[in-house]
Order: sequence, then C-alpha cells, then structure tokens
Amino acid sequence: MIQLYRITKYYEGIPALREVSFSVEKGEFVFVTGPSGAGKSTLLKILFCAEHADEGQIIIQGMNTFRLTSSSIPYLRRNMGFVFQDYKLLPHKTVFENIALALKVVGAPYGEIQRRAYQVLKKVGMDSKMHLTPPKLSGGEQQRVAVARALVNEPLVLLADEPTGNLDPQSGQDVFRLFRDINMKGTTVIVATHDWETVRKMQRRIITMERGRVTDDGRQVGKRIEKQEQRAVITKQP
Amino acid sequence: MKGYGLIYFISEAFRGLRANSLVNLLAVGTISMAMLIVGFFLLAFINLQSAVGRAGDRLEISVYLKEGLSLQEKDYLLLRLKAEPGVKKVTYLPKAEALAVLKSELKGQEALIQGLGENPLPDSYEVNIERRFAEADRIEGLAKKFSGFPGVEDVSYGKEGARLLTSVFKLITYGGMALACLLGVSVVFIISNSVRLALYSRGQEIELMQWIGATRGFIQGPFLIEGIMLAMLGSALAIGVLAAVFYALPQDVVLFLSSPNGLDFLPVSVVAYMTLGGGLLGLIGAQVSVGKFLE
Repeated sequence: MIQLYRITKYYEGIPALREVSFSVEKGEFVFVTGPSGAGKSTLLKILFCAEHADEGQIIIQGMNTFRLTSSSIPYLRRNMGFVFQDYKLLPHKTVFENIALALKVVGAPYGEIQRRAYQVLKKVGMDSKMHLTPPKLSGGEQQRVAVARALVNEPLVLLADEPTGNLDPQSGQDVFRLFRDINMKGTTVIVATHDWETVRKMQRRIITMERGRVTDDGRQVGKRIEKQEQRAVITKQP
Repeated sequence: MKGYGLIYFISEAFRGLRANSLVNLLAVGTISMAMLIVGFFLLAFINLQSAVGRAGDRLEISVYLKEGLSLQEKDYLLLRLKAEPGVKKVTYLPKAEALAVLKSELKGQEALIQGLGENPLPDSYEVNIERRFAEADRIEGLAKKFSGFPGVEDVSYGKEGARLLTSVFKLITYGGMALACLLGVSVVFIISNSVRLALYSRGQEIELMQWIGATRGFIQGPFLIEGIMLAMLGSALAIGVLAAVFYALPQDVVLFLSSPNGLDFLPVSVVAYMTLGGGLLGLIGAQVSVGKFLE
C-alpha cells in the first residue's frame, strides 16, 4: 500500500532522512520510533505530502507522490487521516463543528455531515461533549476528538505524530486502544512515537530510526501478532 | 462547488468580517472615501457630458451662398448638404431674415447697421451637426468640405467654441479615467491589506484545512467573498453619501450649476456598475493576498 524507496531529505544541507526504505501493507499497524531528531516527524510529513523528499520515490496506493500536482494533493490527503501531538483543533468551533469541517472540506451534503460526525464522535466516546469547545476539554478528550476528525472521512491510512506526547499515561493508553480498534477494522495505522512502554505493550511492527536512518524494522513480529488478532476478531463476529 | 459550499463560503465570510470588525470598518470607510471621489467625478462627468452634448447640439455651420444662385442650384446644394454624414438638419436662411436676426441680436445698438443701406448679408444654409460629430476636427473637416461645394461663397462656424468644448470634454474624460484608475488601485491595495490581516488571524485554521484535504478553492472562497463584500459595502456607502449630499443641496445651487434640465444624479446603470466594479476590485485585492498567502 505504501512503499518508500531510498528517501532522503535535507534541511539547509543537513540530512533529516537518509535513504529510508520500507513498505507498509494494507491493514498493517506500524510504530516508527526513535529519539528526538531521528526523522520520525519528517517521515510522516513526507508521507502526507506536507514536505517533499529531495531524493527517492514514494508510492501510495499505486500513486507516485513525486508526480502529483499541487492541486491533486488535497485529494490524496482525503484518503489519509492525520493526528497531531497538539491536536490542532479550532478553539472557537465546537467539537461537532471541528469534525463537520473535515466533512465540509470534501463537499459532503448537510444531512451526511450531521450523521457521520455524530457517529464518529460516538465511536470515540465524545458524543456527549459535542457542543463544547476544545478549550473546555481535557488533553485526552481533545486528542480523541482529533482522532475522530482524522477518521470521519474513513481514510485508508491513519498517520499519527506523537499522539500521546501531551497526554497523561491513562489518556495515552485510551488513544492507543482507539488506534488498535481502528486498525482491526482494516485501516492502516502508522504512529510516530517515542513512548517505548506503549510500543512494547502493543506488540506491533516497530521501525526504529536514528539520525535519519532506519536502524531496525521488526516487520515479522508485528505481522504475526496482527494476523493472530485479526483472526480472533473474525472468529468472534457472528 | 456544491450549493452547501457556497453557503459555507458566505457564512465564513460574515464570520471573518465580524472577527476583524474594527479593521474591516476602517477598510470600508477608506474604500468609501475613494469611491466617493470616483462617484463625485462620475457625477461631474455625466453632467458635463450632457452639458457639452447640449452645447454640441447648438453648434452650427453657416454655409453662405453666392449671389444670384437659381432655385435649382440652391436645391441641389441643399441635397448635397443633407447627404453628408453627420448633418442633422439644414435650414435655409434668406438674407432678409438673416438681417432681421442680426437686428434682434443687436437690440439697443441698431445704429451700427443703420448706415449699411442695402442688405449686405448673403442667403445661407444653417447646418446642424449630429452630437457625435460635435468635435472640433470633425466640424472643421465638414466645413472645409462644404466650402468646396458649387455655389458656396463662404463657410463659418464657432471654431473657438468647438475647440473649447472638445478640450473640456477630453480633459474630463481622460482626467476622470486616470483618477478612477488611481483610486481603483488604491481600493485593491486597501482590500488586499485587509484580507491579509484576516488571513494571518486565521492562519492556524487555513493550515489545518490544508491538512484535512481542503482544495485551494475551498480555502480561498470565504476570503474572496469577504473582499467582494468589503468593497461593495464601501461603494454602496459612497453612493449613499453622494446621494444624500446631492439631494440635500439647496435648489438654487442646483439651478445655478445646472442646465435647463437641472443636475442629474448618477443613473441606475452607473450606480450598478460602480457597486459591481467595487466588488470586482475587492475580488482582485483579495485574490492578490490569498494567492501570496497560499504560496
């Protein structure tokens, strides 16, 4: 689904990413970890077409992002949800309006906006607070709203950059549980984090980065666990 | 863009106008000042144009006939004069009538023509010119042509008057156009600055919209509408002020300034063009800022 081949990115001549290559299959859950400055955020930004790589190729759903025109980038992004460390919610809009904006952007009709925004808020357990504005919510709640916004257009891929960086451990756990649930329903999830404890607990594929390079890719471990869990979900379904 | 999108654009534009109300009020005030000047010049232009037109209607070429022309020769000349493009009306003025006219014009100074004895004035044709031909060079061309016709002794017209009318008209037209351009640029500049402030105050929102897949059109729509609304509001305010001042003018001032028909306010079509033109300038100003910001 996503293939990166020898991606290199420089900032003012200093390499932030060096020949990063890996691929992510549909429905995979991948952690990208590493210390600060390892290049995790840059990698996610490049995947989201917010930054351009200086060298290498990226194929997302069969599309080479280097060949995308700037006018077609928004359409690619509509298939990808992004969750930020600082939530990036609009403080003057209610929780519901924040979600609705993501639907308005794609031109959804009024009735559908009402229905889907409510459904996704219910999914993340924020339906009871949909008329509040973000400053009246806790960090964990704000991040759940941000996840809801990223999911409302049913993206094929969910990218999250340090999603628990500003949260207490319990709220962080809740957010990761949400990601796991989303992934089990088929959405590909890529999370950049340096929260080692959670990463170890989740037992998923871990791509470790250091100084802009991939130093380790625990692909097999992650794949095995995902298959076990997905099989369990299927057998539970009536 | 779907219908829902347009409603979203307009509601967001109103929200933007409210959010930066002080800046926007200043912008509307400044735009209305600029548009007031444009409106004043348009008012002056339209009234002067009609005055010049009326003066143009009074412009005549007198074609003096040679002594002793037969009736047939006079009729032939009349036909030729009437056939000329730009000629509206031709009137025959016999010499006796011309003398009577002269006498009436010299009322109180009849002594000047007492000693003339025989009527020295020739028969003539008075040629009225169409309004579109009431321009110094064209009248001169016509007069020159008439003087070459058989049976014509001499030709005269208000040369100085025609020249003056033409130059006044040109001055108003080109001066007004130059001023309108200058003020138009300043309106674009004002709107562009006002929209730029709105863009910076909503930078976070714009960035977020880009991240969640908003197209450029979706992001810039509300700002373009905001620019159009600001400029149209400013134009409407200017027209309102101009109308209030115009209709509040004492009637004796109006009569003093005006021709027999009185001063005219801007026609509805000009008011509509001014408002729509203001909107277009607003759109250009907003586009300049949004284009730069989104780059």
